[in-house]
Amino acid sequence: MSTTGIAAKSKFANGHPADYRRVYVWEMPVRAYHWINAIVLVVLCITGYLIGAPIRAFYASEAYQQYWFGWIRFLHFLCAYVYVFNFLMRIYWGFVGNKYAKWNNFFPLTKAQREEIMDVLKTDVFQVKLHGAISTGHNALAAFIYFFTFLAFCAQSITGFALYSSMSNSWIPRMFTWIVPLMGGEMSVRYWHHLFMWFFVTFIVVHIYLAFYHDYIEGRGTISSIVGGWKFDKMPEKKD
Amino acid sequence: MGQSIWQSMEKKGYSRRQFLQFCSAAAAAAGFAQSGVAQVVSAFEKKEKPAVVWMHFQECTCCSESFIRASHPIVADALLDVLSLNYTETLMAASGFQAEKSLQDTIKNNKGKYIVLVEGAVPTKDGGVYCMIGGKTAESILQEVSKDAAAIVAWGSCASNGCVQAAKPNPTHATPIHKLVDKPVINVPGCPPIADVMMAVVTHVLVLGQIPALDSLGRPKEFYGRRVHDTCYRRPNYDAGLFVESFDDENARKGYCLYKLGCKGPVTYNACSVVRWNEGTSYPIQSGHPCIGCSEEGFWDNGPLYQHLSTFPGFGIESTADTVGTFVAAATLAGVAAHAVVTNVRKHKVIAEVHAEEEKEQ
Amino acid sequence: MTRIVVDPVTRIEGHLRVEAVVENGVITDAFSSGTMVRGLEKILIGRDPRDAWAITERVCGVCTTVHAMASCRAVEDALGISLPPTAELIRNIMTATQHVQDHVVHFYHLHALDWVDIVTVLKADPKKASELAQSFSTYDKNTTAHFAEVQKKVKQFAETGLGIFANGYWGHPAYKLPPEVNLIAVAHYLDALEWQKEVVKIHAVFGGKNPHPNYLVGGVPCSINVDEVAAINTERLNLVGRLISQADEFVNQVYVPDLLAVASFYKDWAKWGGGLKNYLSYGEYPTQGYNKPEAFKYPRGAILNRDLSHVYPVNPKDSQEIKEYIASSWYTYAGGDGVSLHPWEGETEIKYTGPQPPFETLEGHEKYSFLKTPRWKDNPMEVGPLSRLLVAYASGHEDVKQLVGATLAKLGVPVDALFSTLGRTAARGLSAAIEVGYLKEFYKELMDRVKTRETSTFNNERWEPKTWPSDAEGVGLVEAPRGSLAHWIKIKDGKIANYQLVVPTTWNGSPRDAKKQHSSFEASLIGTPVAKLDQPVEIIRTIHSFDPCLACAVH
Ligand code: HEM
Ligand code: HEM
Ligand code: NFV
Ligand code: SF4
Ligand code: SF4
Ligand code: F3S
Ligand SMILES: [Mg+2]
Repeated sequence: MSTTGIAAKSKFANGHPADYRRVYVWEMPVRAYHWINAIVLVVLCITGYLIGAPIRAFYASEAYQQYWFGWIRFLHFLCAYVYVFNFLMRIYWGFVGNKYAKWNNFFPLTKAQREEIMDVLKTDVFQVKLHGAISTGHNALAAFIYFFTFLAFCAQSITGFALYSSMSNSWIPRMFTWIVPLMGGEMSVRYWHHLFMWFFVTFIVVHIYLAFYHDYIEGRGTISSIVGGWKFDKMPEKKD
Repeated sequence: MGQSIWQSMEKKGYSRRQFLQFCSAAAAAAGFAQSGVAQVVSAFEKKEKPAVVWMHFQECTCCSESFIRASHPIVADALLDVLSLNYTETLMAASGFQAEKSLQDTIKNNKGKYIVLVEGAVPTKDGGVYCMIGGKTAESILQEVSKDAAAIVAWGSCASNGCVQAAKPNPTHATPIHKLVDKPVINVPGCPPIADVMMAVVTHVLVLGQIPALDSLGRPKEFYGRRVHDTCYRRPNYDAGLFVESFDDENARKGYCLYKLGCKGPVTYNACSVVRWNEGTSYPIQSGHPCIGCSEEGFWDNGPLYQHLSTFPGFGIESTADTVGTFVAAATLAGVAAHAVVTNVRKHKVIAEVHAEEEKEQ
Repeated sequence: MTRIVVDPVTRIEGHLRVEAVVENGVITDAFSSGTMVRGLEKILIGRDPRDAWAITERVCGVCTTVHAMASCRAVEDALGISLPPTAELIRNIMTATQHVQDHVVHFYHLHALDWVDIVTVLKADPKKASELAQSFSTYDKNTTAHFAEVQKKVKQFAETGLGIFANGYWGHPAYKLPPEVNLIAVAHYLDALEWQKEVVKIHAVFGGKNPHPNYLVGGVPCSINVDEVAAINTERLNLVGRLISQADEFVNQVYVPDLLAVASFYKDWAKWGGGLKNYLSYGEYPTQGYNKPEAFKYPRGAILNRDLSHVYPVNPKDSQEIKEYIASSWYTYAGGDGVSLHPWEGETEIKYTGPQPPFETLEGHEKYSFLKTPRWKDNPMEVGPLSRLLVAYASGHEDVKQLVGATLAKLGVPVDALFSTLGRTAARGLSAAIEVGYLKEFYKELMDRVKTRETSTFNNERWEPKTWPSDAEGVGLVEAPRGSLAHWIKIKDGKIANYQLVVPTTWNGSPRDAKKQHSSFEASLIGTPVAKLDQPVEIIRTIHSFDPCLACAVH
């Protein structure tokens, strides 16, 4: 899986020209998950921010004539449900999907994964190395970061539903009622829920940048892979 | 007067079975020793008013003051007819030794049958010397009076969650009652609680002979089951996004929602917006001030009051989660930009490498 | 020589312990000790100055609002914020309402049982009581039927245990009232209990609730809009108007007449309990802004040595005038136990050195209280309604002079009678009468402003911390029901850097200073005879005449 050069390098070390092949990395459910998640998270961040700091939007002076803040909150709650179920679906796919979608990608359990993390750090983050390992699926560092992202997904869902439990009689939010006293009251639940938003904002910035970065520097269709599913990968090295 | 509480309930049409059912079911549900309440109930059936002692520890007496503002029943009637308030430093005639005797007599003669109402937190630092009565610490007095009590009610935020003296840095280690006694405690938070809510809790116990249904924080669901925000009359303005931007601005004069001035109604469980204060006269929001969340644990450290969310610690008084978040996001953007520049340099190197290879091949 | 301990002193606010040394039936020395501390001055440090009103309001739920008021003034003084006149009027209404309510509750529910023997009520003739009451008041509940009803209630009540009245000093020879007067007092005890919950609805209207109504730095939170149901409108103002008329009736037809009736049987108490000879009042009720004390309703000033011909100016910002000692208090100062500090430089380092509880006496302990000891130019000062009236009287305040003169004449006692337990208790009633008059004035002025729609209630120029200087200091003075109250604040970079409260009961109830001078409580007990050592009702009478509030005093 790992080779000695970046994709743009068209030759193997032994001088043979490298052949590329198409690999179907991201199956449809992973792609669907990805884009639903992306859209819904952006909406959650925007509506969430507005819930915390509403703008002045007076197009009427009587309450019965407008409902924008109610709609914003409604959108937040709607996206929240989509977001949570979408995520649950992805967890399921982590057990039944292809090897690139498998759950064990996200934990650096093997020595190879840990070595790759170091390699990626050197090559892509600190750029002290010109050529480094290339994975077909997630690189080991990205995968590990997604693991933390998934933890943040959980934290945000739990705090979100805990807050929602005081506004809803549905059984899903009711399951989270006990979180509120545990965290020392709704004020602090809200505080953490709000603060976590900034984690997502930061993640989105870095993540989108890195998607472009990999595409830019590796030239093997990283961005289009999350649309169509295919990535380019080198054929295994030919033996003389 | 002259009739027992059971008799008066009978007059109101309760059957004796109903009466007892109330008592045991509610008591068991709340985890109270069934025998304790049963004994109180049997006391009601005799011609005596249940004995009540009201302890004052680290407090401001606003809970007592609130209690005497009750309107149904008015406190004079409650004192004359409903309960025998044998000890309260605020109102009792006796002082000093005579006062102490009243307390001792009550707990001796009504073992397992008297109710303890506690106003105030208990300081536990340095052996409890920060609150002493009659040369004894509040802590030791609390243990003494709660030992044989049938029920304990913690009045106000002080007794139920520590309130102002427990705010950071809590110099005397002010501690709420439920953390000190090993019996269930009915918490009636608020700074102070609403007078008629206090009276209702007392009558729930003494007249209905029941411990009210409690939530996980020991608060009667009857009054602490909803947020101030859920029944706030300004709520339509909230949903419409009509907010007061500054005190006494045009929107304040129209009674818009106080959310942007830091209203804690959305995170505060209390009966203010339904029962209201002072015989239904008003409540904080109705007078134009945002709710400060006075019935919530740790509300003093959720400040500043006029901010929607707490200040982020260590970043100056004005910094909220948003200031910190914006800073982090901006720093990330800057990092990304710098990385992009370096990447571009690197890409040139790679392209040069590829070109070199191609040339070599040709 | 015997040392009597009274702890808890009840029917006050808070935890007060009094130890008195009695020789040959007369008190020769006394120790007043506050036994509960919360450390609020420490808790305030580092917080937003705009929140301080709410925290300090929780100093006390009895004089609730006055600390909020002092705090707002201190912050406004530091930041140079001036109030819109309508906000000032509403604040005056809030403060005056507090005074009136607090004084009535003190008289009936905290003090009366020192003079009224409830047990003898059963022997009274309701008809005679009614005739007597009607001879000095037009209050419409002074009927035979009402008194008979009350008597019946008391009888039934007594049959099932005395509750809060158990173990009182009933039958003590110091009780002098005829049964009918006792019956009137007990009936009005119950009426006052009902009335006091009405008058505080004024606080609920402007501040949302009572106890602990809401305040706001820069104004008051309530907006006035007579075209809007969700603001202070005509209905709300009418409610306030009605409550003020009720207060007027209760004070002038119930409280003051009862006070005079009771006082006329206890004139010997004009001999005892005088204590200190110095009186201090900060003055109250600005009419042209907080910075113009010369336009206050009650003047500011100090009287030394009971010399009513001279009123000294008082400057709370002068580092040499108001200072606090801790020589006898459970605190330490960096500069040692001998020094006194101006509150801007004040320190609050709690250090308990008393006996380990449980203990019998504080005897033999140099330090014996959680109260600090404030002094004005090193003089111990008495504060409270009496001081307020004396400073007004000595400043030539006409209303006060007339009222005090008329009252003294009615009771047939000389001006000197004011310097006593009786004088202090009477002054509180007169003060309530004056203040209910002010309430009516303020209300009328408020209505005039509403008429002309000059109703701005908030000044937001300095609301945002970025408009504040990096360093600021201020002081907020208030005449609280129990006397002169002040908060000193230092603000640095938008946060509270130091906050010190010097409270009425701190002045009156403090322990000795470094020069061993007594404060009011201790001084006023010395010389009082005690008839029964195990029932020291005399001590209670004098201490209650100050209306102590210990949560205030220590904070
Ligand atoms: C990961 C994505 C999410 C982000 C970035 C996000 C962000 C936010 C933010 C910033 C707020 C405003 C908090 C405040 O200042 O008061 C908020 C409020 C809220 N969020 Fe989320 N949220 C997310 C997911 C969720 C989820 C999964 C739920 C579950 C139901 C949820 C439920 C809520 C609720 C109930 C509120 C309070 C709304 C109100 O005041 O009525 N959120 N959210
Ligand atoms: C708005 C926010 C976005 C979020 C929250 C997000 C989140 C994620 C997550 C959680 C994964 C891991 C997928 C999995 O294995 O299940 C992922 C992968 C990926 N995303 Fe996004 N994404 C966002 C936007 C984008 C955008 C705009 C692009 C492209 C322009 C993009 C490109 C990719 C690519 C290429 C991968 C696979 C990366 C890899 O090889 O590890 N994402 N994204
Ligand atoms: N002393 C005192 Fe207060 C008053 N009046 C405070 O300022 O009672 Ni609690
Ligand atoms: S809860 Fe609030 S009102 Fe009650 S005693 Fe404590 S500080 Fe006072
Ligand atoms: S004023 Fe406060 S409680 Fe009322 S609707 Fe607005 S945010 Fe909610
Ligand atoms: S401040 Fe307290 S009084 Fe009610 S409206 Fe808020 S809980
Ligand atoms: Mg002080």
